[in-house]
Amino acid sequence: MEILKIENLTFSYPLCEEKAIESISFSVDRGDFVTVCGPTGCGKSTLMRLLKKELIPLGEMSGKVYYKGRDVQTLSEKETACSIGFVAQRPEEQIVTDKVWHELAFGLENMGMPQDVIRRRVSEMTCYFGIEDWFEKSVAELSGGQKQLLNLASVMVMQPDILILDEPTAQLDPIAASDFISTLSKLNRDLSLTVIITEHRLEEIIPVSNKLFAMESGKMLKYGETRETVKALRNNAVFMQGMPAAVRIFSSFDLSLPCPLTAREGREFIEKNFDNRVSELETPLSNTEKKDAVLEFSDVYFKYSKEMPDVLRGLDFKVYKGEIFCILGGNGSGKSTCLSVAAGLRRQYSGTVRVLGKKIKDYKKNELYRGCISLLPQDVQTVFLKNTVKEELEDVVSKDHTLPYDLSELNDRHPYDISGGQQQLLALAKVLSSAPQILLLDEPTKGLDAYAKKEIGVILQKLAQTGLTVVCVTHDVEFAAEWADRCAMFFRGEITSCGIPSEFFAGNNFYTTAVNRMTSNYYKNITTVSDAVKIMRLNMNGGAE
Amino acid sequence: MKAFDNYNPITIFIYFASVITIGMFCLNPVTMNPLILFLSLSGALTTYIIRNRMSGVKSHFFFLGMFILLAVINPLFNHNGVTVLLIINNNPITLEALLYGTASAAAIISVIYWFRSFSQIMTSDKLLYILGNISPKFALILSMTLRYVPLFENQTQKVIQAQRGLGLYSDTDFMSRVRGGTRVFSVMVTWALENGVVTSDSMTARGYGITKRTFFSIFKFRKKDIAVTVASLILFAIILTGVISGAINFRFYPEISHAQTTAVSVITYIAYGLLTFLPAAIETEEEIKWKYLKSKI
Repeated sequence: MEILKIENLTFSYPLCEEKAIESISFSVDRGDFVTVCGPTGCGKSTLMRLLKKELIPLGEMSGKVYYKGRDVQTLSEKETACSIGFVAQRPEEQIVTDKVWHELAFGLENMGMPQDVIRRRVSEMTCYFGIEDWFEKSVAELSGGQKQLLNLASVMVMQPDILILDEPTAQLDPIAASDFISTLSKLNRDLSLTVIITEHRLEEIIPVSNKLFAMESGKMLKYGETRETVKALRNNAVFMQGMPAAVRIFSSFDLSLPCPLTAREGREFIEKNFDNRVSELETPLSNTEKKDAVLEFSDVYFKYSKEMPDVLRGLDFKVYKGEIFCILGGNGSGKSTCLSVAAGLRRQYSGTVRVLGKKIKDYKKNELYRGCISLLPQDVQTVFLKNTVKEELEDVVSKDHTLPYDLSELNDRHPYDISGGQQQLLALAKVLSSAPQILLLDEPTKGLDAYAKKEIGVILQKLAQTGLTVVCVTHDVEFAAEWADRCAMFFRGEITSCGIPSEFFAGNNFYTTAVNRMTSNYYKNITTVSDAVKIMRLNMNGGAE
Repeated sequence: MKAFDNYNPITIFIYFASVITIGMFCLNPVTMNPLILFLSLSGALTTYIIRNRMSGVKSHFFFLGMFILLAVINPLFNHNGVTVLLIINNNPITLEALLYGTASAAAIISVIYWFRSFSQIMTSDKLLYILGNISPKFALILSMTLRYVPLFENQTQKVIQAQRGLGLYSDTDFMSRVRGGTRVFSVMVTWALENGVVTSDSMTARGYGITKRTFFSIFKFRKKDIAVTVASLILFAIILTGVISGAINFRFYPEISHAQTTAVSVITYIAYGLLTFLPAAIETEEEIKWKYLKSKI
């Protein structure tokens, strides 16, 4: 049954020549799971907002949106508020009240529902989401992932038919993100809830969605059944960047086979069509020459207060000059704490930290931050203090200092209004202004699309070639595999394994890249898509022609 | 045991309002009756100690010190009374003034202890519930504030840490601290406005302002809540009548009077005793019930 129909939708923001959305028409059936993808700034978010009557931004709009055959504009306020739910990107800011139970009830209170109806719906939803444990907690105690689940649950109590989500997992770590996506997929399966979602990280969302909507500069590029749409986009490099690894590998070969979407299908595809005569790529010898250690932790212990357990337990590692060192690990393993100890923001209670060969406590106040070390925190918004990008740069960047990239076209924009990738670059510019020799980055790829990630990777590599040392804490396995010189696994306050990416990830079975999961036991030490494609080409003759 | 906490906030509020009102009456020189004061102080202490057991013992010493100080100050400045104990600098220290000081100290300390228990039991969400019954809109504003203030504080800390990690914030001297502080504050205003937009979107998306709001709460009004509410109100009415009729009037100066023993005053004492020990009785009953249930298992 057709639940949502969009006819010739066009929209432009005030004082903007260009149309943000241009004559888009499509329809969504009940129970569809539609993923909307496209590069940053293609109008995805605008489209999502146009579908929710209350959130239509200021501007000129033409065309029609029909909900169950009726024009949305003719529906009552109550009907639209209840039947179309909306979840946005930032989990923190969407929460209105101070207690979890109150937040769950908020929408129903707005509808003027009586106590006993609210009580029933809230308790029902709490059980369905399995969040009884934190029902009476205050929202400040929840983690980012829990907050976003709460946002979802407090929209679901209103019993919507359609759920619209605008990059809901961008601010979450991978584990919380995949939890969130599986909850969505469960809602979709159990309640035939119609889901329309925009996403950057397509690896997990593509396999659960049955329809894919590809968008480019405000226009619809392709819309249809996921596998077909993905296949049709195979030659479009922009879209392929963000696709699951299996799809990217598939798109490198011109085969007329159904496109694999999951890692399992990817493995089948490889093993069926390619043999493994050549099972290993010749790897360039890992650079074993000893360089100077610029950052050195030896036997470092840290805890936040006397009563609390140790966060760092005998942490021991060295980072050498000019390398990109990625620290991977789960939530709460102490990764970020390790960075703030390295930056001298927190002090260990035992052990020594040496920066450029000198003990950190021997640095006088602020001396450490002048040309030695700089820390870019996870939430880059905390770095900005000015009203425009230009002022922000003038504030810190000395004239003779040149950036490896250009931000001048953003000059007059507010730092909060530019895209996540641009924010990251601007923050990076601020960090680099003090000409540090060691750069500490906390989750630099959080919330970024594939294109922005690549840009960051390229820039870091350039910087490393000029002798800058980069220490990067990340959840992003794919990013680490692609760009790091060395990777380290952080677990319960210490580093448990460390090595160059291909060996490091090949040794892991679970905590590794999707490509490695697809190719392990078939090929050796393959962690990135480009390596996989290379080795598959070598094995081509025996398999598919 | 915290059985009293589980009563409906309205019940709890009415109880404390009655007991504290009467306690306040005792600060009036005319109605400052030692027996009422004793009941108020012992009831307040019992309620507090039953809830907290041995935790926070240190604070009791602080209030003991305060009690002694308050009791001693009065005879030093007030020289009324007929029984002279000693003379300092030509000023007589009288027994009456000392007793009066002790009595008013007891009144103040007991009110403080009632408020200590009250603030422990009346958490923000309970206050919110009471407010919500009066004005749902105002309660929502309060709830949003309760959420927002810690959030703002937290973000400010994050910004300061971030700036420090960049070497752009130092608090070595006063001037740089002021400069850093203003920079951070100005960006926090922007941040708050920016966030406000997301929050208000999230509110309109969930239909805020369409119809008159109701107010949901996790508290129920049960039979025992009605019982305690009615009991508090009846006892309060009895005591108030007693107080107004002058049945508990008491005189310290120039000579200490005897407490009245008319029927009305006795009833007032009993009613006040029942009122002050009500929470303690509820806790004890619960405890006994549990012991009994446990022994059956």
